[in-house]
Amino acid sequence: MAWKRICGADEVPENTAKKFDIDGIPILLVNYGEGYRAIPPICPHMEEPLEESGVIVRCVLTCTKHLWSWDLKTLEMKGETEKPLKVYDIKQENGLILANIEEELAYEFDDAEGDDDDFFK
Amino acid sequence: MKITVESKSGSCAFQCGENETILYAGLREGLNLPYECATGTCGTCRARVMSGDVEVRWKDAPGGKKLKPEKGDVLMCQTRPLSDCLLRVPSEIAATDGNRPASRRGVIRDIRRLTNDVAHFDLHLTEPMDFEAGQFVVLETGDLSGGRAYSMVNFDNSAAKVALVMKRKPGGGFSDWLFARGDDEVQVAVFGPLGKAVFRPEEGKNIVCIAGGSGIAGMMSILEHSTRAGHFENYTGNVFFGVRTLSDAFYLEVLARYVTASNSKLQVTVALSHEDAKMPTHPNYPMLRFASGMVHEVAAKTMQGRYENAMVYVAGPPVMVDSTIRALVIDGVRTSDIRYDKYS
Repeated sequence: MAWKRICGADEVPENTAKKFDIDGIPILLVNYGEGYRAIPPICPHMEEPLEESGVIVRCVLTCTKHLWSWDLKTLEMKGETEKPLKVYDIKQENGLILANIEEELAYEFDDAEGDDDDFFK
Repeated sequence: MKITVESKSGSCAFQCGENETILYAGLREGLNLPYECATGTCGTCRARVMSGDVEVRWKDAPGGKKLKPEKGDVLMCQTRPLSDCLLRVPSEIAATDGNRPASRRGVIRDIRRLTNDVAHFDLHLTEPMDFEAGQFVVLETGDLSGGRAYSMVNFDNSAAKVALVMKRKPGGGFSDWLFARGDDEVQVAVFGPLGKAVFRPEEGKNIVCIAGGSGIAGMMSILEHSTRAGHFENYTGNVFFGVRTLSDAFYLEVLARYVTASNSKLQVTVALSHEDAKMPTHPNYPMLRFASGMVHEVAAKTMQGRYENAMVYVAGPPVMVDSTIRALVIDGVRTSDIRYDKYS
């Protein structure tokens, strides 16, 4: 277990996302009003930078480049979205957001290991 | 040559000629291979070649920037097979309904300048083509490598002739080349129809069109179809046409005729980004409205909270389309109610 401090809970306003570098691992922290999610900072579809392309409305994150979207409460995929979001476990302590980061979460098209068996997952 | 594609929904195979791209061969066979622009700029049709030899036509295609060629990643729209091939595509593939695209020949005639840098032209087809309002074709010449996409302006069944709009770009190979041809007839290869940003009257929706510059082309086809189908007897239409200045606008007479035919259930607003629209009306176009500002801002201001039961069509340069989609999502429009085309 490696719980790492991301930021203070008040550093990311409601319905916004902010990118952090945690020991070399890029993390996007999303405040969707009813909670937070810590995710890789790129869209699993075409690797668009979600800090810029993402919009959060009514607990739904939409990448506005190609309209993939996810319910941030349930992580349900919406519309024509074909890949789930990967998320880091998070918790809040004393006004801080912590994420459990064992290793960097990546999407398979970006997999540096070249493990083609993961290509579709 | 036999192309086998493994996807999230299983495996499928089709034949591909040596002079056609893998994307076009698969679409021609009725498979819904992923694509948006079909001309190398967007990157949606990426795939991984697992075995077999291929030739990549446009190696520096902007849509290929994020690919890993060392792993065999290619854009299917730029790739021709040199042998039987096995590919993987990271999406779900199924047989499509609707019109299958096909290769045809065409002759360009009657190039007519509409503004300083926009021209209208007719494409006469060797075989008639069925298409949906909002679709486009890709044109290629022998003289220039790579295809360019153009949305149909007209709407006809079994069309032997389609009307297209071209914007001349500085250094924009095909358009420069075509402008230079003057009155000559120009032979081109045609592939289409393509594109999913289509209007279907049976969906029973109000229409909102937000277009930048030559992005108005496909909207004209949508207006022609909806007008002819009597759509505005039961539904509203709102068209926002963004141009830099009034002298960059075109098709205004045609747009005004659609407004008249709809008994004003259709409203058309011309948004001027680089000129002050001094009045909300213009004496030459009493049926149209005029506003100052970026088209996505003008549309957002006018439409705020009025998107109920609407299908929103967006077309234009990438930055304009991105800004518009962002504004729509923030305004609460569902992603399934947005259809877009990026012209790049």
